[in-house]
Amino acid sequence: MAAGAGVAACSPLYRQLSGLPGPSQAWPSISLADFRGLSRLTYGPLPAERAQVLQIGLAAWIEEQLSPAGIQDEGVEWRLRPLDALRLGADSLSAWEAEDVILQLQQGALLRQVYSRRQLLERMVEFWTDHFNITMRKGDGWFLKPADDREVVRAHALGDFGELLWASAHSPAMLVYLDNQANLKEAPNENYARELLELHTLGVEGGYTQQDVMELARCLTGWTVKRHFWAGQFRFDNDLHDPGSKRPLGMQIRPEGQREAERVLQHLAEHPATALRLARKLVRRFVTEQEDQSAAALAERAVQALRKTNGSIAGMLRVVLLDGLAGARTIWGPKVKRPVDVVASALRLLGADTDGGEALQQALQAMGQPPFQWPTPDGPPDDSPFWSTNLLPRWNFAIALARNEMKGTRLDLPTLLGPLTLSSPQAELDSLGELLLGVPLGPPQRDLLLAALGPGQDPAGLPSLVTAGLLASPAYQWR
Amino acid sequence: MRFAAERREFFQVLCQCPQHAQATHYARSTWPAWMPRLAFAPAKRGVRGDVLVVVFLRGAADGLNMVVPHGEPTYYTNRPTLAIPRPDDRKAAGSSRAVDLEGFFGLHPAMAALLPAWQEGHLAVVHACGAPDDSRSHFKAMELMERGLADLGGPASGWINRHLASLDTGNTSPLRAIGFGEAAPRSLRGVIPVSALRSIAEFHLGGEPEIAGLLKGGLAGLYSGDDLLAGIGRETLRILETVEQLDPQGYRPESGLPAYPASDFGAALRQVAMLVRAEVGLEVAAIDLGGWDTHFAQGASDGLMAGLLADLAGGLSALHADLADSLSRLTVVVMTEFGRRVQENASLGTDHGHGSLMLLLGGNVEGGKVHGSWPGLSQGQLFGPGDLAVTTDYREVLAEVCRKRLNNPAADQIFPGFTPGRAGFVR
Repeated sequence: MAAGAGVAACSPLYRQLSGLPGPSQAWPSISLADFRGLSRLTYGPLPAERAQVLQIGLAAWIEEQLSPAGIQDEGVEWRLRPLDALRLGADSLSAWEAEDVILQLQQGALLRQVYSRRQLLERMVEFWTDHFNITMRKGDGWFLKPADDREVVRAHALGDFGELLWASAHSPAMLVYLDNQANLKEAPNENYARELLELHTLGVEGGYTQQDVMELARCLTGWTVKRHFWAGQFRFDNDLHDPGSKRPLGMQIRPEGQREAERVLQHLAEHPATALRLARKLVRRFVTEQEDQSAAALAERAVQALRKTNGSIAGMLRVVLLDGLAGARTIWGPKVKRPVDVVASALRLLGADTDGGEALQQALQAMGQPPFQWPTPDGPPDDSPFWSTNLLPRWNFAIALARNEMKGTRLDLPTLLGPLTLSSPQAELDSLGELLLGVPLGPPQRDLLLAALGPGQDPAGLPSLVTAGLLASPAYQWR
Repeated sequence: MRFAAERREFFQVLCQCPQHAQATHYARSTWPAWMPRLAFAPAKRGVRGDVLVVVFLRGAADGLNMVVPHGEPTYYTNRPTLAIPRPDDRKAAGSSRAVDLEGFFGLHPAMAALLPAWQEGHLAVVHACGAPDDSRSHFKAMELMERGLADLGGPASGWINRHLASLDTGNTSPLRAIGFGEAAPRSLRGVIPVSALRSIAEFHLGGEPEIAGLLKGGLAGLYSGDDLLAGIGRETLRILETVEQLDPQGYRPESGLPAYPASDFGAALRQVAMLVRAEVGLEVAAIDLGGWDTHFAQGASDGLMAGLLADLAGGLSALHADLADSLSRLTVVVMTEFGRRVQENASLGTDHGHGSLMLLLGGNVEGGKVHGSWPGLSQGQLFGPGDLAVTTDYREVLAEVCRKRLNNPAADQIFPGFTPGRAGFVR
């Protein structure tokens, strides 16, 4: 069994450090626009975050989040302590059981989403985890991915895109996932070279050809992973490297060993098609899925920002968020929550004590998004219609969570509701509606829900039923 | 630019929502319609056709090693380690040789379970089949194929959903179309709400029966609005009701018949058979089978791909035997986004290619035949960097299946911009 962050370990101090809703805290009313903005920037806006936005405004809050190093975050570190897989190297982890490593990395991701105060950083970690997708269920991925998570994705999530791309290309987890350890001179394997162009940088319409894929694959021959001593470390093997000259993307690449592909990486990181692809993906993730002129104009401004800041991810993101979420809001479009949002925002908003463990991971799997297991290199889609076809697992998660039937996770609804408990069903429903949806549920649905749940019920059981109903409602599925 | 307009409309109404909701200061649990209600001509009334089962092999399956051109010497020179030995190759173990079909092509030995279906004329192969797109990108190719398009400018909906939307069979079953898995595939997406489900046996609302009953009432109220999620929510509740009447665990094929493989794919096909027998209104089932992106250690007669093929062929042959008395109203289509390079790579695998194949299984398939013209594998006959050429557009096959087996002649709506020509794959 993997070590888990035990529920019992959660003292009031943890709660305080994570800014979770506590007994006497009411949730400050913010505008629905700010609630929705915060729902994109965080995994569910906590009372503390609402209060902060009321005080300093969403734009200033975004600025703070763009520099995560300045945000105190001990609470989450304490919760992550039992998860050794987050700290160990590939050589140590290769001696573990695969399932333990996978579960701990999944737990770590969910606990950070729920409890970290660096919420925008976690949002960007999710974004890059998808962009540079690796499944732990292929080959040695299960013991290689933790280092990739730590040293590639988390280290550069709000840093420099060129450095992020560079780190990803030298990441053993990526090279193994896309078969580059089998990319040899004379008969190259195109898999990594193709996805590097198609998914990580230029995009399928980015103007490269099949010939470019083959030439880049030749540059990448010999990029492999150490087998015995220092197992799981990057290694360039000159004996496996194609010694000839190459011409990828119109570049003249002379024989220079490892340096050849690194030249191409730099070219790709600075390529305008890469910038446009990243900008569009960020606009889609944070602002709108509609591909119209105003979305294109916002992406164009983000491209400029990336150029002006010499590849700063935070620089590009700032423009997307300030113009798209904090500004006039003419571009904003609704999005259906992905499974990680459904789970993390319920835990966060309801102040759950959780180990992020197996029960929750199974719920994520049933909804279709078990972390670090998406099989194909495109990563889980950022697409509302895709996530709209499978509601039943979301309903079952809502019921199990609200009724405290989720192993390793505990809600304390009476404490959360405080003086409101047993006041009146309507008051409970409206208050929980404000917490979970930003505003109370509208009249027809509210009345229908109460009519179905209310009569003849033990009043003490009502909060959990109402909570289950709200978490299962269509309104909760949006963010 | 009617299709771009459809996409725009898809999201337009939504964008006005926050202001609306803010004005009333209530969360509208029903967002205004965000699906275009009428993207195409109104549906024509028509009689229900076959149950269509679409199996999509994700990752670009190597058609050359599924139905092997053993009469083609260049196949063997290009694949020194991956080739499947000729049916008459005395140097190879009998169990590793291709199973001859008609002298030139043979089945991969792991697909031998399909030989009876072939011999009975219920299995057809369309070789050198595929799409015009040559991006060799899985994601672009799959998206185009599932949307039934030649370029990304067309409608956002999937071809199967457009078939359902353009033919009103009077069938209001919530199980008219389902996708097996965690999300419905792109081909099922569109104006007709379609649900994904992993397992009919596990399709129930959690908690004690009493609680589940209360919440079902609550959910009916919450999902009483008029938007995409509300529509899907109501369908989900109706499926729950229908499924309660079934006994999925009790369903077994007759004794003596081949068992379904103990895999997700086998389970999905077993559930298709159960739904067909239960006559609950199933018209289309879409099933994904992944793992075909065999850049590395693909294997030949044994190995990675052989395992996938055994699952595929085992499942299809079990379905064929199980539904033997219903084959006249069943058509199964197996397809993939593109094929793989003729020449093997250094990692005992194959890189992205172009042409692959389709399989057709059913009582009214022109079976026992390899359809399509064979372009050959010699220099000058290959496409691009050394790939099998495409001589049959996949839409040719699907359009004929829609017209003849599903009674839907609206090919212009299902495959906009494509004019079906020569066919003869099904009766």
